[in-house]
Amino acid sequence: MNTVNILLIERGIMKLIKKPSAPVMGFGMSLFFLLVYNAGIGGIGSLEAFGAGGYLSFVFPITIISLAMGSSAGAGQTLNDDMQSGYFRRLYLSPAPRWILVVAPMLADTISSVVFTILLIGIGAISGVSFQFGLLSALGVLLLSFLWSLTLCGFSAGIMLRTGQHQSAAIITNAVFPLLFLSTTFLPRELITARWLLAVSWVNPVTYILEGNRYLLAGTSSAGFFITGLLIFSTTSIASVAYALASAKKIKA
Amino acid sequence: MAAEIHIQKLFKKYPTGTEAIKGISLEIEKGQFFTLLGPNGAGKSTLIKILTTLIGKDSGRFTLAGTDPEMNPLQIQKMIGVASQENELDPAEKAENLLVFQGRLFGLTKPEATNRANELIQLFQLENERNKKSGTLSGGNKRRLHCALALVHRPQILFLDEPTVGMDPVARANFWDVITQMNRREHVTVFLTTQYLEEADEHASDMALIAAGEIRYSGAISDFKKMVNPNGALTLNESYLQYIKALTNAEYTIN
Repeated sequence: MNTVNILLIERGIMKLIKKPSAPVMGFGMSLFFLLVYNAGIGGIGSLEAFGAGGYLSFVFPITIISLAMGSSAGAGQTLNDDMQSGYFRRLYLSPAPRWILVVAPMLADTISSVVFTILLIGIGAISGVSFQFGLLSALGVLLLSFLWSLTLCGFSAGIMLRTGQHQSAAIITNAVFPLLFLSTTFLPRELITARWLLAVSWVNPVTYILEGNRYLLAGTSSAGFFITGLLIFSTTSIASVAYALASAKKIKA
Repeated sequence: MAAEIHIQKLFKKYPTGTEAIKGISLEIEKGQFFTLLGPNGAGKSTLIKILTTLIGKDSGRFTLAGTDPEMNPLQIQKMIGVASQENELDPAEKAENLLVFQGRLFGLTKPEATNRANELIQLFQLENERNKKSGTLSGGNKRRLHCALALVHRPQILFLDEPTVGMDPVARANFWDVITQMNRREHVTVFLTTQYLEEADEHASDMALIAAGEIRYSGAISDFKKMVNPNGALTLNESYLQYIKALTNAEYTIN
């Protein structure tokens, strides 16, 4: 990667450090979910369907998902600030490839999300979350988290670029939020009684990141979910970056 | 020898239907101090945006120092400096940091970029502002910093779109000292639009007059003055006003 690209990614990271509200809120929200879900309904973890890892390992993936959802608006915020101040045009007139102007804040946002995921994994490990394949499990969780985060960042940034309003970057979080409740978020498939919910969960992409993580953590799911999750979110990551880049062309100089 | 800025039959129509540029052709030689004059909405800023690759053209072609921007856009960005009408500053960054970062974006090493930033801070008399966030600077100092940023990489063609708006007289004089020195010593080609015609009169040698997206005059400023009033010694401001008035009356009569 050339120096200009690295400089712009560094700038994106510095922007997040100076204005950390989005990633810190995402992290706080994740910890909150981990705490309240485990405290509130952790007792059901003794059921066989939750596996040896108990409810903590079962519910841990939701904290990973929440993290990216809470912090995905950061790239949109950086882009919006630059556009409002006119600084985006100065960057646009530099020899930096124009795609990196949009991708750099998204990568910065994703890197921040990965850093906070590492923190969460550490907290999870200390709290007793099981990692079936040890370090490989942790790396798998990070990979899924990276792809999920990039997907959300790309679509958030793209929507913001098209509408020109930073509030609209939150649209993607609002759109994804109901999907959490239409999946195996709180209970394993075997304990869900509503057949329509089971049917919906099969076509809900969130299911594959949840179950993929569960395969890596407590081993309560199958490798197929992990592989399918990788395929789905690799595709959505590419689509979201493409969407953000296409949206950048709509910017009025 | 090819012109430094070569524009041939350039057309631009906005999606709203406004024909901003109607078949403009111009030749600007290397080291020329050129000014583009015209009333508000004449197409000056649109032409600068096209030449600096901020927006696309509909048809026609142009080259900068022989380079076609469609073939090599990044090469174009390296050779041009742009100070547009609006300040383009990151309000959360310190003045010095912005200058250094700009230098790094244009390929300078960190020590080179820091040296260049120091030079420009001195040239634009921003010593007391170097550690202040750009968002907290006064309007005039923001403008100085904005113009300094356009010069960080020592461009060979400089586009100045109303550059001195908001500067006090001392800052304006200082700014023109810097630009004229670059033009005379380093043969930087200057493409200026301004509503302060006395500035254009003092510094530029050649001009074009644009109205309703068309070039109405192109040539030496001295020739323009003679054309408008062959008998008297008018300033550029007086000549321009007289010409525009005549143009408006003629178009009013035709309509």
